[in-house]
Amino acid sequence: MSSMIRTGDDRLYWRVQGERNRGLMGLFAVVAAFLALYAYLFPGLLSVAGVSKFAQSWLPLALVAMAQAILMLTGGISLAIGATVSLGAVIAATTMSGYFGVAGGIVAVSASGLVIGALCGVIAIRLRLPAIIVTLAASFIIGGLALLILPRPGGAIPGWFSDLLAGNTPAALVLVFLVALLWKLYLATPLGLSLYAAGENPVGAYRAGVPVDAARIAAYAISGLLSTLAGLFIAAQTGSGDPVIGQAFTLNSIAAAVLGGVGFLGGRGTMRGAIAGSLLLSVMINVMFFLGFPPVAQYVAQGLIIIGAVALPQLTARFRRRP
Amino acid sequence: MNQANHSRFPAWSPRALLRNRAFLTVAIVILVWVVAGFAKPGFGSYGHLRYLLELAAVIGLVAIGQTYVVIAGGIDLSVGAIVTVSAVGVPLVALSGDGSGTFAVLIILVAATSIGFLNGLGVAYLRIHPMIMTLAMATFLQGVLILIAGGTAISAQNPLLAWLGNARIIGIPAGVLLWAVVSGAALAVLHATPFGARLYALGANPLASALSGINVQATTMAVYAVSGLAAGLAGVLILGMNGQGYVGIGDPYLLASIAAVVLGGTSILGGSGSYAGTIPGAILLVTITALITVVNASAGWRSILFGSLILLLLLLSGRESQRR
Repeated sequence: MSSMIRTGDDRLYWRVQGERNRGLMGLFAVVAAFLALYAYLFPGLLSVAGVSKFAQSWLPLALVAMAQAILMLTGGISLAIGATVSLGAVIAATTMSGYFGVAGGIVAVSASGLVIGALCGVIAIRLRLPAIIVTLAASFIIGGLALLILPRPGGAIPGWFSDLLAGNTPAALVLVFLVALLWKLYLATPLGLSLYAAGENPVGAYRAGVPVDAARIAAYAISGLLSTLAGLFIAAQTGSGDPVIGQAFTLNSIAAAVLGGVGFLGGRGTMRGAIAGSLLLSVMINVMFFLGFPPVAQYVAQGLIIIGAVALPQLTARFRRRP
Repeated sequence: MNQANHSRFPAWSPRALLRNRAFLTVAIVILVWVVAGFAKPGFGSYGHLRYLLELAAVIGLVAIGQTYVVIAGGIDLSVGAIVTVSAVGVPLVALSGDGSGTFAVLIILVAATSIGFLNGLGVAYLRIHPMIMTLAMATFLQGVLILIAGGTAISAQNPLLAWLGNARIIGIPAGVLLWAVVSGAALAVLHATPFGARLYALGANPLASALSGINVQATTMAVYAVSGLAAGLAGVLILGMNGQGYVGIGDPYLLASIAAVVLGGTSILGGSGSYAGTIPGAILLVTITALITVVNASAGWRSILFGSLILLLLLLSGRESQRR
């Protein structure tokens, strides 16, 4: 979408972008404030090693937030993200030390994510079953597959690959930017262009000749791919695979996407918002850790902050409407 | 009002019956029970079926609230946490001492209702999407529970709970009886009171219901409060059957309640369906789980079977109507 406008009118492009950023200014400010607080509490953050470590704790959440956001933009949702992350982790841990090596492992992980995502999409879209319950059932099937592949934590990731992704290099940060860039490119393809239209007004889009079903199924496939890649990264981080490691990501991905202003009904929100939302969640967890909160209190704070972050724009909007 | 009732309960005819999802779900349950009874000796025995019903009672109770909320166009992701609050809370309150335990149970039921009410408050007045509001509430409760109860199991001893968990009245477990009574009330409220009619209206079209004079905010808060109460009741029943409560005891019931509602033919989009479908939905869910346990398979295969069966049943009963 953006690239098409850009070729026509440069000023219009930036105005559209500015318009889309406007609702996110509050979020960006909060993220910046939390980052500043984190840097103040932990000055070590402002070094290559500090940034690397932080980016490594953030990357999986950023990936699953994007995986959830792309579905929510088309009006879908997935409760299978966590299970898919686990599946990606166990496939990486079992294939990478095998015959085909790291490259083969990456291909296997990506292919499984795409196929599983696309299957969920076909079932939900073509058979017209509600996405929430299809992905709920899928989460059992995918989680079962992960348990079949690796019944208990184990497997191995080659050491050099772990060092490359999760060592003292800012590789994770580079990956975030790379994925964000690829998302921009995807939005310029016909399927990417259809994404927002299919979410915002499926019937209208269909009548206008937009391939609504294809765009939605593609979104499911990409969502699966992003989830298994998050699993791959976690496996590289821990050096092994765990069939239940992804569980928490289902709800966290929804929370991050919603914090980022992505709506449930489709067509509302931006990917930069979702990424910022995941950053906020990630920084928040780190800050609370440094403030010495027990892990439990983090749940309490997380619940309150999510409600606050979602309710605040609603409340301010209402006060503005009623001068 | 009469007209609306008519469309919800079409005149009896074989075709209408086949299209009635509640009836379809009952038929599937009976089919599964008969087939399993022949295939697996002992499955069809009275004792085993009674045990299944006892398990279904808990899911069924949680699913009352979930059905109400879904019909009204929302979803409640905090029911699992509320079940835990109630199962862990009753022993904690009971420690301060009252004879029969009735007082403790009542306090906890009020607390569970208040939690639901808070959910409703957030959804109705702060305009937070139900999924987020209840998800955040669940996260919040989980933290509070671990802070209060820690990681240990807390056992409860009081006569009321013991009766609920173990008593048999003319051979029927007290839990099943409780479920039957509450179900009757839930069905009556849903189909024979203005409140029930408002739920359907709210789920079908919130704007139109607001314009036709329904107090959307009050109805929303009430429906989430009912969900909290139902989940609290389920927690009390689990505590009675289990003898002890621990953090995480209610977690499985979140997804089970949603699955029961959808298997029972209630549209996840709101505005249609009935608790009459959720009852066989809950029984079906428990039956599937029991069948999978009988099949001697690894945890992975069991999980795959369970997911596949739910998908399969969805194809039979849970399809959204064709969009025009």
